[in-house]
Amino acid sequence: MLRLSLPMRIIVFAALILYVLIVVTPFGMVFMNSFKNMREIYQRPFSLPEIFRFENYERAWTSARLGQAYLNSIFVTSTSIAGILIVSSMLAFMLSRFRFRFRKLLYMYIIMGLALPARLAIIPIYVILTRMGLVDTHLGLIIVYIATGISFATFLLKRFMDDIPKELEESAVIDGATPRTIFFRIALPLTAPGMVVVGLVNFVSVWNDFFFPFIIITNRARYTMPLAISGFFGEFSNRWDLIAAALSLGVIPIMIIFFFFSKYFITGMTQGALK
Amino acid sequence: MRFVGLENFRSIFFGSFGAEFRNALGNSFYFFILNSFFELVVAFFIAVFLTSRIWGRRFFQTMVYLPNVISMVLVGFIWAMMLNPQWGLVNQLLRNVGLQNLTRVWLGEADTALTTIVMVNIWRNIGFYILVFVASILNVDPELMDAAYIDGASNWRVIRHILFPLVVPSFQTLLILIFIWSFNIFDIVYALGGIQGSPFRTTDVLGTLFYRTAFGGLGSSAQDYGLGAAIVVVVFLMVIPLSMVYAYLLEKRRGG
Repeated sequence: MLRLSLPMRIIVFAALILYVLIVVTPFGMVFMNSFKNMREIYQRPFSLPEIFRFENYERAWTSARLGQAYLNSIFVTSTSIAGILIVSSMLAFMLSRFRFRFRKLLYMYIIMGLALPARLAIIPIYVILTRMGLVDTHLGLIIVYIATGISFATFLLKRFMDDIPKELEESAVIDGATPRTIFFRIALPLTAPGMVVVGLVNFVSVWNDFFFPFIIITNRARYTMPLAISGFFGEFSNRWDLIAAALSLGVIPIMIIFFFFSKYFITGMTQGALK
Repeated sequence: MRFVGLENFRSIFFGSFGAEFRNALGNSFYFFILNSFFELVVAFFIAVFLTSRIWGRRFFQTMVYLPNVISMVLVGFIWAMMLNPQWGLVNQLLRNVGLQNLTRVWLGEADTALTTIVMVNIWRNIGFYILVFVASILNVDPELMDAAYIDGASNWRVIRHILFPLVVPSFQTLLILIFIWSFNIFDIVYALGGIQGSPFRTTDVLGTLFYRTAFGGLGSSAQDYGLGAAIVVVVFLMVIPLSMVYAYLLEKRRGG
């Protein structure tokens, strides 16, 4: 830990406060403007709203169909995360606990996907989904997310499973445990923290993803959150009051979740990304 | 579908499409250069301060990461409001502190649009890099630094000779990630420059060019999977060796 002199500490502290202001101001501005009307936005963009016009929220919510979009996003995100966890935990268990031919190769193949963006494969993905009749469906989207999430999840869960002491497993085997009981009774409970990290990381990436829904989904009724707001932005391009309300509705729930779980988010992202 | 041999690759490198491709490639490279500077160099120094003895360290670490959990397109739209030439906060602020002549149509002028978009991108992503550096600085043995201070080392020397060498591995891996991600940027340019890379293609990147080519440029041109695929193959060839190095580095470090 760096030791700073008092004046230096004050300078650094002030700089960090300025940094926080740069982070917070855009959100604050959107939130303020979401209660104003157009005249107020143009004439007094700095000030607090004269009165809180909640009707902006009402209109944004209904015309952008945010209710539907929220349900869609919740469905797609939770199903994808569940799928990723199921597939990856089993895969990680195999890779960590069994010795078989091409194990190393399989593992390298999986973790090569860690840094390789799936969007590079969008043309084949799109062609395959078309042939399977899954274009413009949530299932198509979910399959893509599960496939792209496996790399990171398997990588992380395998590390957690590698850290489980061998003795624990050996004594379980002596007591007559099958690989199945070892998986459910030992491996899964002991990797729970890893599962939380995988869940959060994928929550952020799937929930926020714009590219895949943008290409795969065309029916408005199936829009996810970012797509719905983006469509709304295009349609109401000069109604900044409504856009601000729609943006607030998109941003605030995620922020609340973030502040609740910030500790997990931060340790998860950083230790997950590279350790 | 018709087999055209290397025809698509010829179009990419030569002719009128070639010019467009080089423009987009150049802009993606610009993204990479600015991203690397801010997300590695600036982020490292912010991380150094975030790990020093300072009030409210936890609070700052949380706030730094905040924009990272917001969808990139939403970040784009939020900044579209901030940068609105008439009432956006950025120009208002400049006017209010008497810097009238610095006000710009940030996203509408050819010489500022791309840099503005890159900076918005950095605004959202830098928190991740800062926190990775924070994590690796916290891994540095405190006794090493204590010993250095006892020997009378200055802060600058501690940063240069202890912290920096010990976080070099993070620099390597992050540089690879920045390279790969820079050439896959799409959302933020779509949100702020549009699918045509406005104004006048100055913000066009490989992601938007690819989208226009493969999936149709919203009416301006026919869709051409083959040509689009050729663009992706070029990006793929640039990116795949690096992602192999990345996977290798992660595994090697685990072993050591």
